[in-house]
Amino acid sequence: MIRANAEELIRKSIARFVDREIIPRAQEIDNKKEFPIEILKQIAEMGVFGIRYPKEKGGAGGNTTLYCIICEELARGLMSVAAITAMQCLMGTNFLFHFGTDQMRQTYFYPAMRGEKFSCFCLTEPEAGSDLGAVSTSAKKTEDGYMVNGLKTWVTNGPIADFFTVLCQTNPAKKFRGLNFFFIPRDTPGVSVSQPFETLGTVTTKMSEVAFSNVHIPEDYRLGQEGQGLDNLMTILAEIRSMTAALAIGLQRAALADSIRYAQEREAFGRPIGKYQLIQAKVANMATQLEASRLMTYRATRMIDQGIPCMTEASMAKYFATEAACTAADECTRIFGAYGYSMEYNAQRYYRDSRFLLNGGGTHEILQTNIARWAGL
Amino acid sequence: MTVWVETDLCDACKLCIKACPYGAIELKGGSAYILERCTSCGACLEVCPKAAVLTDFKPRQIPDFSDRKGVWVFAEQRGGKLTRVSLELLGKAQELAGELGQEVSAVLLGHQISDLTATLVEYGADTVYCMDHEALKHYRSNAYTKLIEELVNQYQPNIFLLGATHIGRDLAPRVSRRIAVGLTADCTELSIDSKEGILLQIRPAFGGNVMATIANRYSRPQMATVRPGVMEMHKKPGKGNVIEYKAVLFENEIKTRVLKVVKEKKKGIDLSEANVIIAGGRGVGDANGFDILRELAEVMDGQVAGTRVTVEEGWIPPENQVGQTGRTVRPEIYIACGISGAVQHRAGMMNSRYIIAINTDSRAPIFQVADWGIVADLFDVVPEMTRQLKEAKEKTFGI
Amino acid sequence: MDIIVLVKQVPNTTDVKLDEKTGSLIREGLESILNPDDRHALEAAVQLKEATKGHVTVVSMGPPQAIEVLTEAIGMGVDQGILLSDTAFAGADTWATSSTLGKAIQQIGKFDLIICGRQAIDGDTAQIGPQVADYLHVPQVTYVAEIDNIDEKSVIVKRRLEDGYEMVESELPALLTVISEINKPRYPDVGKMIAACHEDASIKTWNAADIGVTVHEVGLAGSLTHVIKTYVPKFKRQGEIIEGDTKAVVRELIQKLGRSEGSTACKAVAAACRLEAS
Repeated sequence: MIRANAEELIRKSIARFVDREIIPRAQEIDNKKEFPIEILKQIAEMGVFGIRYPKEKGGAGGNTTLYCIICEELARGLMSVAAITAMQCLMGTNFLFHFGTDQMRQTYFYPAMRGEKFSCFCLTEPEAGSDLGAVSTSAKKTEDGYMVNGLKTWVTNGPIADFFTVLCQTNPAKKFRGLNFFFIPRDTPGVSVSQPFETLGTVTTKMSEVAFSNVHIPEDYRLGQEGQGLDNLMTILAEIRSMTAALAIGLQRAALADSIRYAQEREAFGRPIGKYQLIQAKVANMATQLEASRLMTYRATRMIDQGIPCMTEASMAKYFATEAACTAADECTRIFGAYGYSMEYNAQRYYRDSRFLLNGGGTHEILQTNIARWAGL
Repeated sequence: MTVWVETDLCDACKLCIKACPYGAIELKGGSAYILERCTSCGACLEVCPKAAVLTDFKPRQIPDFSDRKGVWVFAEQRGGKLTRVSLELLGKAQELAGELGQEVSAVLLGHQISDLTATLVEYGADTVYCMDHEALKHYRSNAYTKLIEELVNQYQPNIFLLGATHIGRDLAPRVSRRIAVGLTADCTELSIDSKEGILLQIRPAFGGNVMATIANRYSRPQMATVRPGVMEMHKKPGKGNVIEYKAVLFENEIKTRVLKVVKEKKKGIDLSEANVIIAGGRGVGDANGFDILRELAEVMDGQVAGTRVTVEEGWIPPENQVGQTGRTVRPEIYIACGISGAVQHRAGMMNSRYIIAINTDSRAPIFQVADWGIVADLFDVVPEMTRQLKEAKEKTFGI
Repeated sequence: MDIIVLVKQVPNTTDVKLDEKTGSLIREGLESILNPDDRHALEAAVQLKEATKGHVTVVSMGPPQAIEVLTEAIGMGVDQGILLSDTAFAGADTWATSSTLGKAIQQIGKFDLIICGRQAIDGDTAQIGPQVADYLHVPQVTYVAEIDNIDEKSVIVKRRLEDGYEMVESELPALLTVISEINKPRYPDVGKMIAACHEDASIKTWNAADIGVTVHEVGLAGSLTHVIKTYVPKFKRQGEIIEGDTKAVVRELIQKLGRSEGSTACKAVAAACRLEAS
């Protein structure tokens, strides 16, 4: 029986969308700094937001590899669009999907799949980033549910989200065992969202602080078993890291393609600059690192799809691919010479957006520490 | 049916590689190697001097068509006006018929069209088959197909040419299927093969990247549609027999009805599909300056484009920008007016078939990529070009 | 309403690169895509399906990898796909192709409407639609820019002409070929495409025996026209500066353009000049 290869086909289809709908407008969208709602609606219409969820439960019946392929292709077009999509597919909706009641799914999950509602994930606090033990946003048990108090920051999608998945401490004495995720709709009394931050890159992805002041939520809004917050986070952490690595691959591809095209067109001393070995060396390094990033990342996603633990592989992929993306963006601006410094070309955007990848999914300092521990130190 | 290479016999002369119309042979390990996309057409067998290319494919018998005579042209008319391509085809048909020692006929269908026969004769028709019927007032595929089928069966022509217009391209395939003959679309050149006496049909394929010669050996008439504007028309009268063919048509066998016909000005098409692009740069001066470019575009059936500067200045809309940050185009003719030709612009138009540069600065880099350069003011050259082409065009016919 | 859409997988000819040394076409690495006009045909069919609760079948003749375009079509909302694939079909001209497609459609059975794209970008012939229509003895309307009205018995469409358009009514069943103006095609749904990659997807593959044709009727052997030669038109920039007074310079330029080979636009210019001269 002849059947198409889903991975190739999805990649081709999303690539076509990116080439036609995103790349021609990427600079314009980035300049406007507005939330790219029109493009996200189109992405929703393709059923992308449900890529990780089973078909019979309102998803698209894909897997982590397909999810990462889509993130990679979108990142090749515009990082902020990819980042918002990645959030909507995974961190923003995952616990709602697994632990929410039917009614919560009806009101929030399915609309999120259709792009009618947007989600976000509140983890980081002003005093707690990588160190989750220091999370101080509290959820105190009340008679009929919980009362949440605290401040979250660097909330991607915060300013536009309709609902939040919030990591809270229910019992500071238990430390990691007291961590739980809570579902909090934006319109719950006591929720307030700051102005969007001014950021270096991914300027159309809105990030902000979200403050919770005596926010009452029902018992149902605790996502998962009491005390399982950290365990639940661990179930998607490798996936988050692989996804971030995929975003980095997309950025590398964009930077490499622009570099090659420019090196063929731009002439110096009567020859295209691509004929000079120093430019060739840059391109060769970018291409090699891209290939290595792909191998590492998709190895991790395939392990996730097979249910094989791969935190170290995913961490390495995220660390390597992101560093390679930062280098590729940097080299791209150099190949473009003074034009790399101009706001007219994409090179500057790749350079700014590459920095976004350093933090999400774990800082490289933390990842390196974990990898070193795995290696035996 | 397969084709294979006897590697012991092959001396890697590459003749077969050159002959293969499908690019399905390459050199591998010192001998020719047949790739998967081979269609067993056999072109390689004929050219191999060592007879190293073999096949189990039995050559098809080519039927004898020596009794088929006459080069026919479909005389397309709309609303009682002949299309220009019909006369162009008569010009070509005369040439082909001359080589074959045969006659040229025009096939004219419509309602109250008998006055058109004189023009057809004037441009070379020896015979005009004229079919007049009320049901032929508007072109309809089934009506035309039925009558042409009858005519072909009765008179047995050798060659039948139609213009590749929206009507010709609707009618020709339908007729070809009906009378069971091969058809070649959108030819840009036609000639007679001196050995076989068959019609060689040359047409662009693969998005114009390749020219293909096509033969129609197994059926008659040899049918082809021809692109408007590529053949010459000659005022060289033919013998001028007019045969009124009595058309019998019933409305219920036609199955379509034309409810109304509306004339409309052409809307701008996508730059990437344009055959001719007239582009302006800083030298155009302001938004009004583009008017003279538009006038030239209109006579040349082209589109207007601009450089980044002209878009930033708001002289033309952003979707008309050509260059690295705009569109990449590859028209047949690109006329750069007042464009210096920075690398960012050249990147977007370098693959155009012919590039013409008009600029007052003889050192402008655009001249380095141009086929023809004119060092002069575009405000003199462009209107003059419009004038000369317009004048020439006005002497000819409509579509 | 039962609708059949005919589609083709084609090489992306806008990406064609030429070998700098030999000047020949580089076919390797050329991306295969769903023919652009066919995408509009699919969109038109799916829109009709949504409006009339119809059923859409997509048919394509091609090598096994053409399964991709059928899967994409299902992603757009088509109900089932049929891939006509057999080595015997290879090398077909439009005569043999229309026989194959026509036979397959007869095999499918009842239909109200067949929709095709105007033409495929690899051959640009625009012949398959009308030839299939004639094979099946149904009326055709080509260059359709809009479907104005449709019921069980007839369809009214806007047919694009070079200098305007006409409104045409056709009895059903009929065949339409559509141009890009007709709609903006949707992007395929990823979930539907994934499902269509599974074994239980409603895509069938038929070979020559399945549709009841002999190898002499189809493919190269069943073709009436044959490609006997191909060449890549070569070009090199002339880099010539034309000098003189404006009138003369322009006349010379037009003449040079007219004498240039391989371009329709140049020939159009040439045709105009010759008339001026005569």
